[in-house]
Amino acid sequence: MLYVRELKKFFGDFKAVNGANLKVEKGQLVAVIGPNGAGKTTLFNLICGQLQPDRGEILFNGEDIGRLPPYEICRKGIARSFQIANIFPRLSVFRNVQVSVLSQQKLSNRLFQPAARLAVESTNRILESVGLLDKKLDVAGSLSHGDKRILEIAIALGNEPDLLILDEPTAGMSPEETSTTMKLIQRLAQEQGLTILFCEHDMEVVFGTAQSIMVMQQGQTIIQDLPEEVRQNREVQQAYLGGE
Amino acid sequence: MLLNIFPQKSFGVSVGLFILLLIAPAIIPKFYTYILAVIFVTALLAMSLNLVVGHGGLFQFHHGVFYGVGAYVGGLILAKTSLPWWVAFIAGPIAAAVTGFLIGLFCIRLNRLYFGMLQISLGSLLWVIAFRWYDLTGGDDGIHGIPIPEFISSSKSSYYLVLIILCICLILLYLILKSPFGSALQAIRDNPERCAAVGINVRRHQLAAIVIATFFAGVAGILFVVVEGSIFPELLFWVLSLEIFIMCLLGGWFTFAGPILGAAVIVSLRTFVGTYTEYWTLILGVILILLIFFLPEGLMGYNFLAKFRSWSKRAAASSVD
Amino acid sequence: MEAGQGITLAAISSHLLVGLSRAMILFIVSSGLSFVLGVLRVPNVAHGSLYMIGAFAAHSIAGALGGGSLGFWSALILAPLFVAAISLIAERSLFCHLYEREHLMLLLFTFALMLILGDLTKMTFGADYRSIMAPEILQGSISIFGSPFPKYNLFLLIVGPVVAVGLWLFSNKTKIGKIARAAAVDREMVGAIGINVSWVFAFAFVLGCFLGGLGGALVSPTISVTIGMDHNIIIEAFLIVTIGGLGNMWGAMVGSLIFGITQSFGVLFWPQFAVVFPYAAVVIVLTLKPTGMLKSVW
Repeated sequence: MLYVRELKKFFGDFKAVNGANLKVEKGQLVAVIGPNGAGKTTLFNLICGQLQPDRGEILFNGEDIGRLPPYEICRKGIARSFQIANIFPRLSVFRNVQVSVLSQQKLSNRLFQPAARLAVESTNRILESVGLLDKKLDVAGSLSHGDKRILEIAIALGNEPDLLILDEPTAGMSPEETSTTMKLIQRLAQEQGLTILFCEHDMEVVFGTAQSIMVMQQGQTIIQDLPEEVRQNREVQQAYLGGE
Repeated sequence: MLLNIFPQKSFGVSVGLFILLLIAPAIIPKFYTYILAVIFVTALLAMSLNLVVGHGGLFQFHHGVFYGVGAYVGGLILAKTSLPWWVAFIAGPIAAAVTGFLIGLFCIRLNRLYFGMLQISLGSLLWVIAFRWYDLTGGDDGIHGIPIPEFISSSKSSYYLVLIILCICLILLYLILKSPFGSALQAIRDNPERCAAVGINVRRHQLAAIVIATFFAGVAGILFVVVEGSIFPELLFWVLSLEIFIMCLLGGWFTFAGPILGAAVIVSLRTFVGTYTEYWTLILGVILILLIFFLPEGLMGYNFLAKFRSWSKRAAASSVD
Repeated sequence: MEAGQGITLAAISSHLLVGLSRAMILFIVSSGLSFVLGVLRVPNVAHGSLYMIGAFAAHSIAGALGGGSLGFWSALILAPLFVAAISLIAERSLFCHLYEREHLMLLLFTFALMLILGDLTKMTFGADYRSIMAPEILQGSISIFGSPFPKYNLFLLIVGPVVAVGLWLFSNKTKIGKIARAAAVDREMVGAIGINVSWVFAFAFVLGCFLGGLGGALVSPTISVTIGMDHNIIIEAFLIVTIGGLGNMWGAMVGSLIFGITQSFGVLFWPQFAVVFPYAAVVIVLTLKPTGMLKSVW
């Protein structure tokens, strides 16, 4: 479904991504891991169009999406969440999700139809599936940190994506919140047949959920394989244990 | 069917106010009728600006230009051609919207402050042309005594015209704001990057909002001609633009009706303070400083702020538990 | 268009020189604006008012000291200092409390300052036109390619580059200049190494305003000083820093040259619309390079 080949992105002399390779098959739950500054977020920004790659290609369903602006990539079926809670703070929780549902249903340009009556059911369904339905009238900016992160995933779900990309979905969460969030992600993947690509700091979380793991170090892909294989890999052990 | 999308409480207040304004000219002196008409025109202008500033998050610093273009195009057609009057009423707003589109096309590529600075620059170009082209625009004197069609030339009839058009425009603006388009626009204001990531073409959406806003500014421009019977280059000057900005700020930018309140307060103050002192701008400056320090969300936005604070308090309290 | 017939080498050279000397005034004013923009990231709308106050103050100081050479030279130094003092008061009493707030609030504050200073100038100095005599040594004109050229304009042609070099040395060679430049790029970092960012901002703001006042004092012998001169200069200065690249001092120089020269050649070719030429130049520049000729600092 998604193939990334020899992707490179430089900021001046700094090689943020220097030869990333990634393969995501339909229905898989794929994780990207690597130490801080390995280029995981940059890689996601390249895939989703927030940044333009310098070299390499990104194929999504066989089509090169490497030079497209973010909104077109989203329309191709890739939705994402961001590392820092990236929501619409002045809008209500309901409207946060509705914005992306309306965009998905190509209704965003309607001028004289009350939005309050459009896409209500789908929005409510998404809010229910992530457990935010009872807070739907709250102003998003007033939510707790954990709820904001969940809301972010809900916004991404509004696009009915084929591929959902989550940038450290549990960053800044308590252990309890982390485990509920990961359960939620697994459930979404199972129930809706979603393909999910995510990156994560917490190794336990990654090895517990992912079906395939890609390891990055200094902008480069070291390996992508099944969790057991990755655990055995010497290079990975070196990258994480340092030296030797 | 459309009616039930308006919030019931403020709908009642609005209808009451509307009826009051309908009978007002019969009761109040002629001068106040005129002032009310000026307030309506300014309110429409401020409302159109707030669509892109308060709800769109754009630094539309030179909105007055589009008001001026609407007034000049409409006024010149009335004064210098024998075309029927309604041509002026259509051409003014359309010319404003076209100008808005062209200037917007330039500015939209840039971010925030650069957008605003470039808009001031390009707008000033139009101001200079209006200021210098004596043969066409009357230069810095402008054109006075523009012939207004008879049925709207008296102060009462022009009052009613302005009031009715204002109401139509307000309803349209309200619908736009509550539509999916308006919803996406507010989302862009809150977080353009996120909006692009949910599949919204942010720049195109903003440009469309600018065209809509400048169209309404053009409507306000032609109404200005009806009320005042004159045009002059100050309409396009950037100081006026920032004054409108203050009106939005004063009334409350994140509210729907805030700019109307802001326009009413500023126009009345200017009128009544102006009879006592020539130092009106000094007072305006002081008002603005007070606003910045004590009421950054405006008069009508104040409640919102208080609510927001109590929310965050509650959130803080619940996180302690 | 009778002016079009007499375009000679002499006319061209004298218009060029007039344009250049105008560009120097514009540079001094807009470099101040650009400096504040670069460090504080706020377009100081009140900058034009400070320019106007500089001109009025120069007139008053020169008048109080008898109007001769002594009066002029003291005015040239004291008037900008007076302007700097005003800006320091405004900055420390009110402006500095806004640094933590949204950017728009800073901008609106400078607009409020412009409104207030404009009326205060009118109250203090009155609405009359007034003019200052240049000192004797700079009066009269010399002949260049057979056309007379005012000595005062030559003086401006010297002052402009001196200010440019001085500003460059200041921001590249002195410690506080370097700190100000660093604060423009990354204020967290500057704050983290233990420098009081608020005072760096204050200093940058006052220096920028000083340059605005200096521009006003320098321009006073060449034009009639009056209320309303603030509105025009601020737009011109805005345009110049926009086409030059926000916060870039050399950009302000390039922008001023474009602006001054197109304006004076506009007078030569099409006097009625002379003021349109620089604006048209701005549109052309920005069509080709939307973020200005030189690299913006942010």
